Amino acid sequence: MAADFRRGRLTPLGWAGLIVGAAIMLAPLIWTLLLSLKSNAELVGHSEAALRPPYTLDNYVAIFGNSLTTRWLLNSAIVALGQTAGVLILASLAGYGFSRLDFPFRKPLFILVLLGLAIPSQAVILVQHQLFAWLHLHNSYPGLILPGLIAPFGVFFMTTYMRGIPRELDEAAMLDGASRWCIFWKVILPLTIPAQSTLAVFTFLGAWNDYWWPLISATRSDMYTLTVGLAAAQMNYAQTSGLGYLMAQAVFASIPIFIVYIVFQKQIVRAMAGTAV
Amino acid sequence: MRRIAAALLAMLALGSCARGDNKTHIYLQRFFGECSAEFAGSTDVSKAEGECGIITTMVDKFNAENPDVKVDVNVVAWPGYPQLSAQVAARDPPDVVTMHEGVISDYASKGLVEPVDGYLRAAGISPTDFTEAARQGVTMYGHIYGLPWDTHGGLFHVNTALFAKAGLMRRGKPVLPNSADELLQQARQFKARTGKPYLIQSNVGDTAYAARNLWTYMMAQGAVLFPDPRHTRLHTPTGLKVASFFKRINDEQLGTLNMDTPAAIAAFVNGEGGIYPTGTWMIGSFEKEATTPGRPLSNSYAVYPYPRLWGEHVEFVSGHAWVVPARKRSPKERQAIARFFKFMAAHNYDWARTGHIPAMKAVLQDPRFKALPHRSDIAPLADIGRPLPGYVLRQNAIEGIVGEEAVAGFTGQKPLGYALAQAERRVNTLLSQAE
Repeated sequence: MAADFRRGRLTPLGWAGLIVGAAIMLAPLIWTLLLSLKSNAELVGHSEAALRPPYTLDNYVAIFGNSLTTRWLLNSAIVALGQTAGVLILASLAGYGFSRLDFPFRKPLFILVLLGLAIPSQAVILVQHQLFAWLHLHNSYPGLILPGLIAPFGVFFMTTYMRGIPRELDEAAMLDGASRWCIFWKVILPLTIPAQSTLAVFTFLGAWNDYWWPLISATRSDMYTLTVGLAAAQMNYAQTSGLGYLMAQAVFASIPIFIVYIVFQKQIVRAMAGTAV
Repeated sequence: MRRIAAALLAMLALGSCARGDNKTHIYLQRFFGECSAEFAGSTDVSKAEGECGIITTMVDKFNAENPDVKVDVNVVAWPGYPQLSAQVAARDPPDVVTMHEGVISDYASKGLVEPVDGYLRAAGISPTDFTEAARQGVTMYGHIYGLPWDTHGGLFHVNTALFAKAGLMRRGKPVLPNSADELLQQARQFKARTGKPYLIQSNVGDTAYAARNLWTYMMAQGAVLFPDPRHTRLHTPTGLKVASFFKRINDEQLGTLNMDTPAAIAAFVNGEGGIYPTGTWMIGSFEKEATTPGRPLSNSYAVYPYPRLWGEHVEFVSGHAWVVPARKRSPKERQAIARFFKFMAAHNYDWARTGHIPAMKAVLQDPRFKALPHRSDIAPLADIGRPLPGYVLRQNAIEGIVGEEAVAGFTGQKPLGYALAQAERRVNTLLSQAE
């Protein structure tokens, strides 16, 4: 498929279209970056001042100067990595079970999992909050990580992927005397690495960007994730005099996501194109 | 792998460390932002600036002066009510929390916040120490439900250079109108002589602007906005009179249209109109522009409460208060809260440097307050300010509805009568469901 997009196949008009499209997509990002490099005072009256020097790193210095920013960064990393690891483990095991094992109520259970895709998180937020309060899990890492492990998409994704792996591989391993666990661990799991990496990227991005649950579960500032912490740090009405700082926060919060996109670009493109399954 | 697991476990354990001092801890939750990088550790309040800087320094000063008490601060994203509600639901609310006065009734009606009469008595504070606007803002169901901290409302921020060009300055002060007709006359004169709009209006995404205008001038004519806790009355001859006036301003293009708050602020700062009616919180920013040479507002800024256009000189206001969520507390914790209240009331002048009107009468007479720029001009807001009645629930949501419908009427998107009727119907529906 990549061959179709070789340089020689694009007409000048195609190139022009691509360049215009890329410019339109990049413009807001560049605008955000430029605003983040300007002093807040200069932007109050003229946001177009972002287009001309002088530029400053003061807004980024202010972010790092906040004693809690590194803590929020660490919290976000623990929560995002914890959720990613948890979802991969649970979704892989569940996917293997649904795709390979025969057990009572397998189909109804799978339908139940699929129904989970149709339930928005807001619909269960009250009950979920009460449950976590009852378990004394608010303002804790388990409290922030556990709700993200309910991942019907992950289960569906891994089930579908594993169904595509020929059963003959299992049978061959069984003839060699491998146990169910051994087949899962040594035969099937290595073959699901592309799907695992795609699921990992989506789970990590979702966990990193999550705002709603951390907002109401982490109510003490030392347990905030980066999204909630940066929102709490804003200090002026309608962000009228801190536009540069706000944009620096946006850039800062998106840097880890940007790195993830760069590193896992191939998996993300595959997933988007539907070729991972 | 084991090392990584051990490190993760250690981090998890650190995250749940318990405090080990012998101090009485009170847990304070506030908005106003996080600026510990700039101000943490400083106890010199006079050197702090802005809402965030001043409150950060004040709490540090309290902690320094009260070695047996520790105020643990939690900064929440503005306005913090989703978090507070979640904490209440989890039975883990803070000890003291910042709250807009219009929101207190929602919590007080359910017994989720304590009356603070006892704390005030212990702190030696009498409700008569509060300004009238502040006292009304925290009084409901026969009790005081918070230590009022300030009064904030709309002000006419004036570009005096443009007013001079329009011939609307007398003895160095802007001439503000005394009636609705006079405002229209002045606005026409202003536009004819400067070529610029008289009013800069944030009509887009700022429902508070239109609601404040409608309520202020209906109250001025003696309208009873909420005859009982379940009903509002807006679709009245008085309501129509006020709405028609603001629509006329827009019809004659005497005010800007289609501006949101940042656009309106930028327009005022760049000298693109005569008056920007917005809140007390903008005084600091505009004063900074006015004292910076070469800026369009340089030496050209004045600010006053909304002028009296009809009847009585009153204005719709709100305020910030320190509220105590209901929970089990030890006598020591209650004593610490009372001491914190006493400290905050004694330092109300410092907070007034933010631009908000002080909640304590004594500060209004304080020479230091009077010496602050423009404060003697805006001080009357403490007397003329009128919050919505304490028995009205859902005041934030109501302001949003009224502002949305009012601006639709003012700008001609809906017929005036229809817009006011819609506002009335939607608010009454909301109130009928409020518990």
